[in-house]
Amino acid sequence: VNASPTKIWLRSFAVALLSVVLATALFWLIRRYLGKGHAALLYLPVVVFAASAGGTRAGHLAAALSFLAWNFFFLSPYGTFIIKDPKDWISLFVFLLVGTAMGVQTGRLQEREREALEREEEAALLYRLSAQMTSQTDTPALAKTLLEEALRLAGAQQTALFLPDRDDRLRIYAQAGAVPDDERVESLRSVADRSCREMKAVGLPAPDGALERIGEQWPISVPWDRFASDEDEIRGVLLPLQATQRSEGALYVGVAPENDPISPRVARFLVSLSYLAAAILERQRLQAEAAQSEALREADRLKSTFVSSVSHELKTPLSSISATVSNLLEGDVEWKPELLKEELSSIGDDLTRLNESIGHLVDLSRLEAGAWEPKRDRYEFGEILGTALSLFSSRDRRRISLAVPDDLPVLCVDFQQIARALQNLIENALLYSPAGVSVGAAALDGSLEIWVEDEGPGIPPPDRERIFEKFYRGSAAGTPSGTGLGLAIAREIVRYHGGRIRVEDRKPRGSRFVFSLPCPPDAKETVR
Amino acid sequence: MSAPEKPARILAIDDEERIRRALKSILSARKYEVVLAASGDEGIDRAIDASPDLVILDLTLPDRSGLEVCRELRTWLAAPILVLSVRSGETDKISALDEGADDYLTKPFSAGELLARIRALLRRASGSSASDPVIEAGDLTIDIARRRALRNEEEIKLTRTEFDILAFLAQNAGRVVTSKQLLQTVWGEEYGEDTQTLRVHIGHLRRKIEPHPSVPQYILTEPGVGYRFAFPSAS
Repeated sequence: VNASPTKIWLRSFAVALLSVVLATALFWLIRRYLGKGHAALLYLPVVVFAASAGGTRAGHLAAALSFLAWNFFFLSPYGTFIIKDPKDWISLFVFLLVGTAMGVQTGRLQEREREALEREEEAALLYRLSAQMTSQTDTPALAKTLLEEALRLAGAQQTALFLPDRDDRLRIYAQAGAVPDDERVESLRSVADRSCREMKAVGLPAPDGALERIGEQWPISVPWDRFASDEDEIRGVLLPLQATQRSEGALYVGVAPENDPISPRVARFLVSLSYLAAAILERQRLQAEAAQSEALREADRLKSTFVSSVSHELKTPLSSISATVSNLLEGDVEWKPELLKEELSSIGDDLTRLNESIGHLVDLSRLEAGAWEPKRDRYEFGEILGTALSLFSSRDRRRISLAVPDDLPVLCVDFQQIARALQNLIENALLYSPAGVSVGAAALDGSLEIWVEDEGPGIPPPDRERIFEKFYRGSAAGTPSGTGLGLAIAREIVRYHGGRIRVEDRKPRGSRFVFSLPCPPDAKETVR
Repeated sequence: MSAPEKPARILAIDDEERIRRALKSILSARKYEVVLAASGDEGIDRAIDASPDLVILDLTLPDRSGLEVCRELRTWLAAPILVLSVRSGETDKISALDEGADDYLTKPFSAGELLARIRALLRRASGSSASDPVIEAGDLTIDIARRRALRNEEEIKLTRTEFDILAFLAQNAGRVVTSKQLLQTVWGEEYGEDTQTLRVHIGHLRRKIEPHPSVPQYILTEPGVGYRFAFPSAS
């Protein structure tokens, strides 16, 4: 892909010289069969050949050389550049004119064709790269592809991607190839800054050691879409990643001093690459911003639901306690011991509810703050369920039937968390189911499926996803009171363990809450 | 509690004034002698002066951690220590048991729970648990003296080790027994670490005594700590 102007010149010259010398030698051998004018005709294809093989320059050169060779070898007096016959002058100059014109035409055609081929190749390459890059959903993967491709295409020594940090200061985000030292990074960073600010490509004469010349002859700053120029020997380039709204960062490509400088073609390609990267980075940034603002809106909505739900949940039992206690303290009534006991036990119930609400809030905030990391160990599902069940009153426990087989695979989970999830699901089922509740488990390829079934009114399909949201209560009438957090906590816990939770409809009535937990690979051997 | 005896002296260490007041009210009403302390240092001083029969220790104290106080008390105090913790402090609870606490209670607790734990701890500390030769729990009867266990009047075949485990758990019914305590009691002082062996034996025992072996209701697992023998009708 890479070729310097000097090389192109040398190549054109070599092609022209070689074709003319060889042709002349051939013509010399068959000179006795050639008339005076034949040589001119024969040299024309040579010019065309040179132009098509070496381009316009080679065409020009071949025309000039043929002119000289014809004159020297085939026009009398032979062996001199002297022309006696004035008619030969005419032939010679007509030849020069026609030869040059043909050389130019052929060269141009050939160059256009080569250019078209190159463009096609570039387009194909860009297409492949764009497909590859647009499929990257995260910035690190995109940066890796971008830098490695730039490194490969430019035959570069090092490439680096500068992206703005939180304070909008450009920093090296990723790099490929040789690692530059700190001082070098700092100077590159300041050039990248300038490149982004002025929206200009900055060319550097060498990949290292030349940066101190900024502001003098170097760097070459041109409007960045016209960066490529034949004249400049550029071995380092900083391209702003210009998107529709702003500059997303900068791409640095540096070629080793012993290698060829960056050719216009490579430069053009790098420019295309940087446009592409800019567009993808912009898309990624906008997506992240959209997700963030969506998260903020959701957090806002939750916060207001939270405040109203929490104050409701905490204030209801509190007001009831306060009313009962103040009533007892009023002093205008002589309370009989059995009535007093009744009032006190109602206070006890309110306190239990208050404690439960606070417990749920504490659990959820610990889970959400990441302050309740699962401490995994190997347990059997049954022992967890046994402990969870021990927290229910014996009256409730009599309503719970079990379908837990003996040979379940062992789990590797946080005991407390799974017990809490089960407890919440069972509490929920008991709340809604006037009759019994059934808890069961079964092994299901590589995981354990656990369910809690009730015979309650069931959950209408639109609510089935939402009931796991915080504070969401069923839309059906006669919904019993609860914190609206139990299921959300269960879902968080199951998610922490890499499982999924869902709710299904049961026939003829009721719901079935199902969650699965992955089993450790060697789960077959139980702990017993 | 049988014959009238000298009332037990209980030291309660808690920085919350309201909790100290409630503890004093609950315990004084049951004729316990109550000594209160509001900080860790004060608690240690009171423990030295008063030589209590039982210590109630809150784990969150203003001056130093409850765990530290527990460790320090344990170096010289033989009386049982009952630890109070909050719901989110499960790790503290486990560490406290490791540091020598005898049992724990999660706040908020009821007077009934507190008193049951205190009675169990005092009974055990006085060495009077052996005076309970037959323990009945649901459909289980554990005859300590005759080394027999019955379910619905039918004898359950237990190995020596299994019976020892069951007996120790049942004698401490309602309380958490750490794996270490179990191992040391059943196998001997030097066997404090082999929890895997214990797990296997507990598994066998469960299969023999539990009505629904896959979901134990008598021998409950206390994760990271040990086991607890529960009366099926309790709570």
